[in-house]
Amino acid sequence: MNARAGRLARVARAPISVLVGVLMLGSALAQGPPDLTGTWERYRGPAGDATNPPPESAPPLKAALLKEWQARRAAEREADARGEPLAKGYTHCIPEGYPTMMSGPFPFEIVQSRSQINVAQEAYSQVRRIYLGKPQKKLDDVEPGFYGRSVGNWEGATLVVDTIGIKDNVLFRDVPHTPQLRVRERLHLVTPDILWDELMLEDPAVLEKPWTVTFAYRRTPNYEIIEYVCEDNREYADEKGVTRLRLKDK
Amino acid sequence: MKRMIGWVAVGMLTAGTVGTAWAHHSFAIFDHSRTYMLKGKVKSFQWTNPHGYIDLEVKDGPPGIDHYTLELTSINMLQRAGWKSSDVRPGDEVTAIVAPLQTGDNGGLLLELRMQDGRKLVPPVPAADTFKRSQQ
Repeated sequence: MNARAGRLARVARAPISVLVGVLMLGSALAQGPPDLTGTWERYRGPAGDATNPPPESAPPLKAALLKEWQARRAAEREADARGEPLAKGYTHCIPEGYPTMMSGPFPFEIVQSRSQINVAQEAYSQVRRIYLGKPQKKLDDVEPGFYGRSVGNWEGATLVVDTIGIKDNVLFRDVPHTPQLRVRERLHLVTPDILWDELMLEDPAVLEKPWTVTFAYRRTPNYEIIEYVCEDNREYADEKGVTRLRLKDK
Repeated sequence: MKRMIGWVAVGMLTAGTVGTAWAHHSFAIFDHSRTYMLKGKVKSFQWTNPHGYIDLEVKDGPPGIDHYTLELTSINMLQRAGWKSSDVRPGDEVTAIVAPLQTGDNGGLLLELRMQDGRKLVPPVPAADTFKRSQQ
């Protein structure tokens, strides 16, 4: 091969190597974040199923707070046993907020884009927004709310989310918290249709150590979220905070 | 009717996947130890969240009861179980199986609704089997 022919051969090969590189990059991108878009519901498989997350543990509250929490839980159980359940936020049509909205029992919908993931819980039509690739704000710059401010990033196939700014009256499992509450989540598929959400709650003022709770969900491919407006609860709280039922006049 | 039974099963499965300890709602205001059978005419069917309600003009039931308020599950759960807002209309003659309020007031949780045309409508009450049925 003379010099001219060699140059021609190199020129001819160049586009092929570029094409191969583009294809490899495309393949890597194709294996990027999984698509979580769709509807999901809390799921617990048969006993021993590998997709079942660890059982939920009691909150590792500091001793005095744990005692109070246990006393409140006992009082609730006793009130239930008397047939006088204590009214809760639900009684007043107040949504549960985050992270309780991730616990079911109603289904929820994930809508995913490159820059944002929205999670819409059917109950009370609650929505949380997770901003991807954005820095978290300082705590002082986030007004407390029912869902806080969530930012996330994909670490391979795992969505890592950081949430701050939860109102002090928005309680998960009736556990008290301070404005310092931070929830770190790791969402990942354990099978193509089973999603885990590992939530780690950090609040050093009330918790001895971070508290991790994991929920499993399964896809509900043909389910469409139904609207939910808390329009008229005829259950109400009496003067003692006990749930009662308002009966219609004859 | 087959569709209804199928959807009831799905609804119960959905409710049953999550422990009742942290459910939205406690059903403790209702008596789990007995049920009433009430026959009467529907005055209204309130299709709302967080619960649906049926108000019933009672013609045949325990002595002294001439009106009863029936609480249903949320209408989202009802829809997942196959219910429609048009399933029950004012004026319908029905038979209701209810878990009465613990207070003895004229209200209770609807467990089953039998329609005059033979339909049996079952709200997807979580842990419905914990409500002991009286002989009826």
